[in-house]
Amino acid sequence: MLPLVRPGRAAAPLRRLCRRILLLSSSPQTPSPSSSSSPYSTKISPLLLLLSPRPSPASGGAWRWRGVSSCAVRAVDVGGEAASTSSDLSSPYLSVRIRCRKEDAEVLSEGLLCFGATSVTVDDIAAAGNLDEITITSIYAHGEDVDSSVSNAASSAGLEYKPVYETSVGKQCDWVTVVQETYESTKVINGLWVIPKWRTPPDPQAINIIINPGLAFGTGEHPTTKLCLLLLRETVKGGERLLDYGTGTGVLGIAALKVSCLVLLVYYYLQMGAALSTGIDIDPQAVTSACENMMLNGIDSNKMLLYLVPTNAQAACFPNIDKSEENKPTGGLELKSSKGSYDIVAANILLNPLLELVEDIIGYAKPGGIVAVSGILTEQVPKVEEAYSRYLENISVSEIDGWACLQGSRKA
Amino acid sequence: MATTLKDAVARKPVLATIRLIVPAGAARPAPPVGPALGFYRLNLMAFCKDFNARTQKYKAETPMQVTLTAYKDSTFEFVVKSPSVAWFLKKAAGIETASGRPGHNVVSSLTLRHVYEIAKLKQSDPYCKHMSLEALCKSIIGTANSMGIEIVKDL
Repeated sequence: MLPLVRPGRAAAPLRRLCRRILLLSSSPQTPSPSSSSSPYSTKISPLLLLLSPRPSPASGGAWRWRGVSSCAVRAVDVGGEAASTSSDLSSPYLSVRIRCRKEDAEVLSEGLLCFGATSVTVDDIAAAGNLDEITITSIYAHGEDVDSSVSNAASSAGLEYKPVYETSVGKQCDWVTVVQETYESTKVINGLWVIPKWRTPPDPQAINIIINPGLAFGTGEHPTTKLCLLLLRETVKGGERLLDYGTGTGVLGIAALKVSCLVLLVYYYLQMGAALSTGIDIDPQAVTSACENMMLNGIDSNKMLLYLVPTNAQAACFPNIDKSEENKPTGGLELKSSKGSYDIVAANILLNPLLELVEDIIGYAKPGGIVAVSGILTEQVPKVEEAYSRYLENISVSEIDGWACLQGSRKA
Repeated sequence: MATTLKDAVARKPVLATIRLIVPAGAARPAPPVGPALGFYRLNLMAFCKDFNARTQKYKAETPMQVTLTAYKDSTFEFVVKSPSVAWFLKKAAGIETASGRPGHNVVSSLTLRHVYEIAKLKQSDPYCKHMSLEALCKSIIGTANSMGIEIVKDL
């Protein structure tokens, strides 16, 4: 539960002042109810801001004095102006490291979140062991008033001292790329692996799907991807047409082309994958990523088609494979005309889209075709089943780790 | 997957505790999730997918509080909690920001019914279950007072 929030000062006049660049002088404080304001100035280096607690003569409630102008924080401004609300990948963010006493960390972090921090991280308390103080790292959107936020949080947490903090600007980088180094090759089942681009397949004999995830979803590690891949392995017999609804990295589409039930024919195995895969997604990042993965796995562009569909799922999409400047809207017509002709439709997205787009998803499958939906938790299955049982028969549910996949065949 | 934090701590060495506010159903690798998790090399996409799936039942874009526990072996667990009381109050009162001078400026007013509804919502939060409805209400009224929102019996 939130601590009782004790009020800070009005930030508006101060903020306006702060917009002027590189001010080092004092700012006239708005008078607090109990004490008179007196300006003062400090010399501050752009990145380091040390605040000393200045208790004000208070009467009645405990009003905190916000010591120094927060212009130093602005000095760090990388040319931005008003607080940016966009979650732009390339916009810088403010990272603030605050030191405070161990026992205050919990309450202070709650307060910070309340007053504008987008995230608060506390390094492990147990590890800090013998130290009296610990460090909290807080992230603010670019342009936020850090100083008022910290002081408000401190006063609401009931701290008698003002915590010392330093601010630095973090350059936004592609976090997903940074984390990607930790991705490992995943074995879905014997003979089927999903390998990140930069790793070598541990089993060259197996069917290896090579993926470069980018910002799209589907590295093969998630239980829902595994569920879908297993399903594909069982149902693809050869020569089918597959639609991957919400394709992400394209992993399911590629898998369908490569995988199949092994058919023993006389003395040799005959592997036949699907005849054609189509992947659609509303996220341009996903389509780009799927395109790249298609190349990585050496798949012909006539065996796999990718479409970017607008969020309202109308047919105004472009075939993404030819990368030509003129994107003709004919792709949309192709997609629309292919409705009702797919043997397998796989949709690994989320509960709400699945419920909203029932008719759209079912519409793509041919009568008697298999429809598989995933990306749902086990507890969400009844809802999905209820929505889809109008159109599907022979419904069966498979589960891994609390995630479920529901499949059925379309009623004629 | 999201077990209680207590026995989680007992099992594996904890690297850090991360608290975030993320809009329901809309987690992306961008901030706030990106820098916070990326710093500890946690699997961003897995968190996004997991979080989005678990928050499907809430109204889209409500800012949920999430507490993540990152372990030393790059795994993590998280708990999703309801939005902050301040947010509920702002929504109920229809205002964007709380009063700049609480105690002096009253920005808006709410009835006891609103407080009661908010308390009921908060009680479903795993961490507030032990508090009685009355205690929750008192706490909400306290927060409202500090935001400059007046609580009246009837509007």
